[in-house]
Amino acid sequence: MLSEKRKSFLIFFLPSMIVLAATVLYPLIYALFMSFTDSSLKRRGLGDFIGLDNYIRIFHDTHFIGSVWTTTVFTVLVVTLEFVFGFIVALMLNRIRFGKKIFFTIIIIPMLITPVAVGLIWRLLLHPDLGIVNYMLSLFGVEGHAWLGDSSLAMFTVVMIDIWHQVPFMILLLLAGLVSMPSEPYEAAKIDGAGRLQTFWTITVPLMKETIIVAILFRAITAIKTYDLIFVLTKGGPGTTTEVISYHIYKQAYTFLDTGYASAMSYLLLLVILLLSIAFIRVSRGKPQAQ
Amino acid sequence: MNLSFSDKLLNRITYIALIACSLIFLLPILWIIRTSFTTKAVAYQIPPQWFVTPTLDNYRAIFSDNPFGKYFFNSMLVSLVSTLIAVFLGAMAAYWIARSSKGGNFLRIAVLVTQMLPPIVMVIPIFLMVKSLDMLDSWETLIVTYLSFNLPYMIWLLIGFFETIPKDLDEACEMDGCTKMQAFTKVVLPLAAPGIMAAGILSFLLAWNEFLFALVLTGTGSRTLPVAIANMETQQGVMIAELCAATVIIILPVVILSLFIQKYLVNGMTTGSIK
Amino acid sequence: MKKHWLLGIVTILILSLVTACSSGKGGEGASSSAPAASGKGGSKKELNILMETVPDTEMVQKVTEKFTQETGIKVNIEAVNYASMHEKLVPQLLGATSSYDLIVVDNYWVGEFTDAGWLEPLDSFIKRDKFDTSVYLKSMFDMVGQVEGTTYMLPFYNYAMALIYRKDVFEDADLKSKYQAEAGKELKIPDTLEEYVNISKFITKQKGESMYGSVMMGLRPDPISVEWLNYLYSSGGDFYNGDNTLRINDDKAVKALELYVDNMKNAAPKGAAGFGFDEAFNVFAQGNAASFITYNWMLPKLQNAAESKVAGKVDIASVPGGTSLNGGWGWAIPKNAEDKEASWQYLKWIESFDAAKERALLGGSPTRKDVLADSDVLGQFPHYVKVQKILEASKMIPIIPQAPQLIEILGRELSEAVSGGKSPKDALDTVAKDVGQLK
Repeated sequence: MLSEKRKSFLIFFLPSMIVLAATVLYPLIYALFMSFTDSSLKRRGLGDFIGLDNYIRIFHDTHFIGSVWTTTVFTVLVVTLEFVFGFIVALMLNRIRFGKKIFFTIIIIPMLITPVAVGLIWRLLLHPDLGIVNYMLSLFGVEGHAWLGDSSLAMFTVVMIDIWHQVPFMILLLLAGLVSMPSEPYEAAKIDGAGRLQTFWTITVPLMKETIIVAILFRAITAIKTYDLIFVLTKGGPGTTTEVISYHIYKQAYTFLDTGYASAMSYLLLLVILLLSIAFIRVSRGKPQAQ
Repeated sequence: MNLSFSDKLLNRITYIALIACSLIFLLPILWIIRTSFTTKAVAYQIPPQWFVTPTLDNYRAIFSDNPFGKYFFNSMLVSLVSTLIAVFLGAMAAYWIARSSKGGNFLRIAVLVTQMLPPIVMVIPIFLMVKSLDMLDSWETLIVTYLSFNLPYMIWLLIGFFETIPKDLDEACEMDGCTKMQAFTKVVLPLAAPGIMAAGILSFLLAWNEFLFALVLTGTGSRTLPVAIANMETQQGVMIAELCAATVIIILPVVILSLFIQKYLVNGMTTGSIK
Repeated sequence: MKKHWLLGIVTILILSLVTACSSGKGGEGASSSAPAASGKGGSKKELNILMETVPDTEMVQKVTEKFTQETGIKVNIEAVNYASMHEKLVPQLLGATSSYDLIVVDNYWVGEFTDAGWLEPLDSFIKRDKFDTSVYLKSMFDMVGQVEGTTYMLPFYNYAMALIYRKDVFEDADLKSKYQAEAGKELKIPDTLEEYVNISKFITKQKGESMYGSVMMGLRPDPISVEWLNYLYSSGGDFYNGDNTLRINDDKAVKALELYVDNMKNAAPKGAAGFGFDEAFNVFAQGNAASFITYNWMLPKLQNAAESKVAGKVDIASVPGGTSLNGGWGWAIPKNAEDKEASWQYLKWIESFDAAKERALLGGSPTRKDVLADSDVLGQFPHYVKVQKILEASKMIPIIPQAPQLIEILGRELSEAVSGGKSPKDALDTVAKDVGQLK
């Protein structure tokens, strides 16, 4: 006789687990094995077992270490700016009555465009000599920049383009969180005569906590994995100013065909993201919920 | 309703700010639309020629040189089906995790771990597996492969939304004698509608924009839009005008679609109203 | 309690993995519209070819209709963009069988592909059918034809680089007299790189932002690498000495990079350090640059008014110094192709004189001497006389298994030299060091 608990496990949880096992478990394990071998795309099969050599090699790879820093800067900037900007827009959208649909529709358009097209289109807009952005700036007497060709500006430009493309995700998630909040606490606060800021900090933020954690982690993980935008926009240049980890890994796998090493870097990356995620969840949720 | 002065002022500021934001999002889009009606020589002309005789050549080209309609259909089918499966399975799993007293933290991390490896190293084993099953270039393969990221993200996003719904509500229902499934479908799902909608849109878009798996796993039969669009960057230059035309074609139907579905998202079903 | 069901999950995961795999096999029959599963036994009724999205591919597609009419064999051409081709091809070549019967190979993958044993030698086919390979330009056949005496490919099209310039600017009387006064020399298409860079800087100084002396492309890794290699080869430098020792950081190479950086900083548009092929092309096409080192087939594109505002004012010449970078694609049959005989039949047909000429007349870029010299082709493209000379004098990226890595490293360091503050000598020393370490 199955207990109620077991039954609900079977019905609710098992189907997803089966699908995940069939789709992600095999590649995950395969890549883990690869990381301990000298496997290369030039040969069939996994290659020879070489222990931790790939992992040791990572720490001698100056370009990997450089790309860690680049990725950190990119991720922190992108996630913070998108969260702040996204939260503000979501709050505004949640507030208004008229024109909500129109604003919302406009705001989500960028994320419908595939990253390759986003990159190519922004290359058109930001062309230093022939782009509309620099032309518009020149009308206001501002001197244009070589947005992607200037090593001191390239990272900023990539971040801005990423925000344009990805902030709608943040708005979407946070707006959904705001919309599904109960109205009673607000009514109570109103009766108590609480101010707007006070209400925001004491009611909105705590109630939104779960959604915020989810949204930030979601975005952080996708940001760390960004490589397609870099690929289209700068290929890691000028110099190595925009060379993020995922692009570095991509090159190890497909240019250098060194899948063993690429897998090792990927697993190290996984470990770091994992630890950061756990830390983030611990800190932001406080103690594990009592009940 | 009486609005206080500060409320009115805040409303006005909100609208102004929203219009400014929308412009940031919209201006590049308008430029894309404009470029889609020009030739490449005009597209790069600075100072821009503000009044151009529009040409429909780019639109004609993308439909005659490519089976663009087919790619659109492929993308739509693959994204929709994988999203629907992900919503269906993911919602149940997320609910179970959100309500299970033990292991909640462990499980939510475990689900997320599957997404921490760059797709670049995942695609090789997946390709080898699909190849050995002789299932390259098929919709089914793409749909199943897309579940590998859609489902975990779906579960992960929905856990958060389910947790904001007070436990007492479904527990009360179960007290009244309904099964766990009934409590889930009758009480929790309606309340979580905005969240499910948001997660559904997200997962649709993740699939819609996915490039690497689509590149490696499809041939000409099940090719999706991102791969077709990437082909507009050639060794002889970027076909920027056609690319913009293709982008417009991609955006339009989804925008129209979103006008219909966002009712559930933007307005939601205000939680307070459920009694 | 917790452990208890953790164990459960793990068991279930493993079990379901097994069942998922086996049920996947069972469902195979019901699957998909895959074109791969065609023609079992005997001659194939359908061929699958992986190609790059370029106009030449469209021309092949057009010409191939005739092949299908003649033989009844359907040819599916799958075109993928250049940047993705390597990712697309490599997993395919790795498997036991390939979905493709014929592929095209870029010249800098040749060493890698042949070294890994992915390509089928064509010599026995060539011998049996007496296919004449001496019709190909030697510089093409040595690059995308044979490797160390074995023929793996037939040259498909060339993309040797050349100097494309504005006739009207180089003939401008005002500029000419000013240059004479300043440099004491005539303003003409220069013979050496030093003079080229001087003229380029002179024009930029005179005309400012309305006309740059040259437009350049500093994007990593391919654009900057291929552009600079023209400088390297034209100033007498190279990657390797005769005895396979590296000379990429010798005096000639350093000099070539100094000139390149000088031109980039003092003559090229300010964003050129981030330009790819397309940005640079558009600067030139909009009439904002006097010269551009690029692929020779950019010329007809620049003469096309829909893409360019300088149609009619452009001409082509050798890269100053005389040795440009050669490039090209070759046709190859993957070692794991299903029916190599069928692949060869098509390859033989598409590379025959008639089919090659037809492609050339449509605008394709030829690799056969007899097509380049054909009077119909020359009537339509008179500049092919110059192109043939350029092709004959050009030099390729060394055919070594590590060529893609070489380009990646070179591109990174060149970019560091142009915008990262590394000195040319330091950058090239790093290239030599990193390339020396490649396995």
